[in-house]
Amino acid sequence: MAEIRLKNLTKRWGDFIGVDDQSLDIHDEEFLVLLGPSGCGKTTTMRMIAGLEDPTAGEIWIGDRMVNDDLPKDRDVAMVFQNYGLYPHMTIYDNIAYPLKVRGTPKADIKPRVERAAEQVELTEFLHRKPKALSGGQRQRVALARAIVRTPKVFLMDEPLSNLDAKLRVTMRAELKHLSRALQITTVYVTHDQIEAMTLADRVAVMRHGIIQQLGTPDDIYNDPANMFVAGFIGSPAMNLINGSVQSGMFITTGGTKLVGIGGPDRESAILGVRADDMSVHDAGEGDIDVTIYAFENTGESTLLTVQWGKQRVIARGDRHLRKEQDDVVGIKLNPDHLYLFDPESGDRIRMGGA
Amino acid sequence: MSHIPPMPTMRDRTLKYLLVLPAVLVVFATAVWPLIESLRFSFYQGRTDRGDFPQNWLGFENYTWAFLYEPPFWNSVYVTGLYTVVTVVLTTAFALGLAMLLAPGGKLRSGVQTLLILPFAMSPALIGVSFRFMFNPEFGLFDAFFGVVFPPLADVSWLANPDLAFAVIVMADVWGWIPFLTLVLIGGLASVPQDTIEAAQVDGASGWRVFKDVTLPQLLPVLAVVIILKAIFSLKTFDQVFMLTNGGPGTATQTLSHYIYITSTRYGQVGYAASVAWLMVIPMMVLTYFYAKFVFKKDDGA
Repeated sequence: MAEIRLKNLTKRWGDFIGVDDQSLDIHDEEFLVLLGPSGCGKTTTMRMIAGLEDPTAGEIWIGDRMVNDDLPKDRDVAMVFQNYGLYPHMTIYDNIAYPLKVRGTPKADIKPRVERAAEQVELTEFLHRKPKALSGGQRQRVALARAIVRTPKVFLMDEPLSNLDAKLRVTMRAELKHLSRALQITTVYVTHDQIEAMTLADRVAVMRHGIIQQLGTPDDIYNDPANMFVAGFIGSPAMNLINGSVQSGMFITTGGTKLVGIGGPDRESAILGVRADDMSVHDAGEGDIDVTIYAFENTGESTLLTVQWGKQRVIARGDRHLRKEQDDVVGIKLNPDHLYLFDPESGDRIRMGGA
Repeated sequence: MSHIPPMPTMRDRTLKYLLVLPAVLVVFATAVWPLIESLRFSFYQGRTDRGDFPQNWLGFENYTWAFLYEPPFWNSVYVTGLYTVVTVVLTTAFALGLAMLLAPGGKLRSGVQTLLILPFAMSPALIGVSFRFMFNPEFGLFDAFFGVVFPPLADVSWLANPDLAFAVIVMADVWGWIPFLTLVLIGGLASVPQDTIEAAQVDGASGWRVFKDVTLPQLLPVLAVVIILKAIFSLKTFDQVFMLTNGGPGTATQTLSHYIYITSTRYGQVGYAASVAWLMVIPMMVLTYFYAKFVFKKDDGA
């Protein structure tokens, strides 16, 4: 068990920058998720922690030891790979036992530990099969068991759920969360799936172009995004971003509609961010603005209204019992407590009022 | 509307057999028929210095003769066996080492790979000629090289010493075969999933253990094909022996193929040579069986 400290970590391949001078402290026993779109440097960061990739510059500390020059085998980490990385020629038992065997664990200790790990991931009856004979979810569990069979300082998980089908992913996510709470080992988890990040993480680091955009608890990054990228990346459906300007404390859309009072100085151009859940649907005339429905979708647990808002389309979430037709006119009210203003040039958040 | 092709008729079906017929005939005339004829000759006394051919029916006498009364036959069996074992081991070991070095890629990889094709593209006879020339004790490359580096070795008559001559044909063969097998093994290594190797590294395995526990077992099917293929080619080696040593000095480097060649063409004992050739088929068939088994292996998934 240990904390991980990255100091000014950089990875370059020729002109391409994978990770750009990033520093990050991961606390002991913390579950940290590196979240971002593909190519953002999250996997590279993890692979550098594992020792599978050499940093171009910067330091990696695990516990009180700088591990830059240590081979992966000497870093005392366990990793779960996206494609599981199971040894196809070994039985499940031998797969799970391998980290113990190569580290010279006495034979008498191996068997009970493998069996316990297999029990934790409910694989006991498959120990004598080969990976090929297992389903995707079962292979995922083998990879997990191989990681938890010893007590490493750090767990590294590289998109472990991305190859599973949607239903299994939800189940495995809960199992993973349960397991990680039980084990209390520092974990770094890479994903591009914001729901995985929100549900699993103690803290999330949102990355883009090799730079950490925001580091915070799931609540922080959802409710208080640092910039337009984080705002747009977190949440489903994505946060609506509406072009407009600020005049005498009112946000005016590009089409010229006075929308909502937000205070603050005048701005020639600004982007208003509002989540689908922070808009409420009313009858025409009763909201902040009247809009025409472009598409009405019923997802079962709620309804999604894509509405034509001047030249833009915006998604609002309505009650599950709401029934509307295309081209109906509805009133939309914005929740003034959850509005975000961004600078269209830099994408930075413009803090409103005194907050 | 585009043209709708007519339904295939019986004529179209027979046409496809007609189209392969020439190839079948060629294969039959050049491979199947000579094979059958050689099998037939192997049961006859078939000497080319007689008027009629073949002469009397001998049954299995040619075969028993080879086993019981022909020390040169056993000598060539020994030479071929030793040659096969040594060349298979050396070629596979070098090719595996080279493949491991080249597999990670890098800037030089494609250039080196192109160079690697060259020795394989050379005909074995040409390899024989050039090695013979290089080992010439008076104006060969090795003579000149050792003349400068280590004079006592300069005037060694490589091909006149039985052991050295054997070493030279082994060397020429290994040199000629390494590149192709390296390319095959590079392909084999590329098919070993990278994440299994990385998983082993993180699990705590040293470089050697990663190779032994993870890479090698997954490379085994390809490695088996390489070994069997090389063994088949080593067993039937003829060209280099013929060009480099002609089986000599004495019969020190006489492989089975060369022995068959000498008995049939120089001594005119075609029937007897055919029986020895068919004896050689036995180990070949065994190896071919295993080769086919590995190449067409189905994943059992168990």
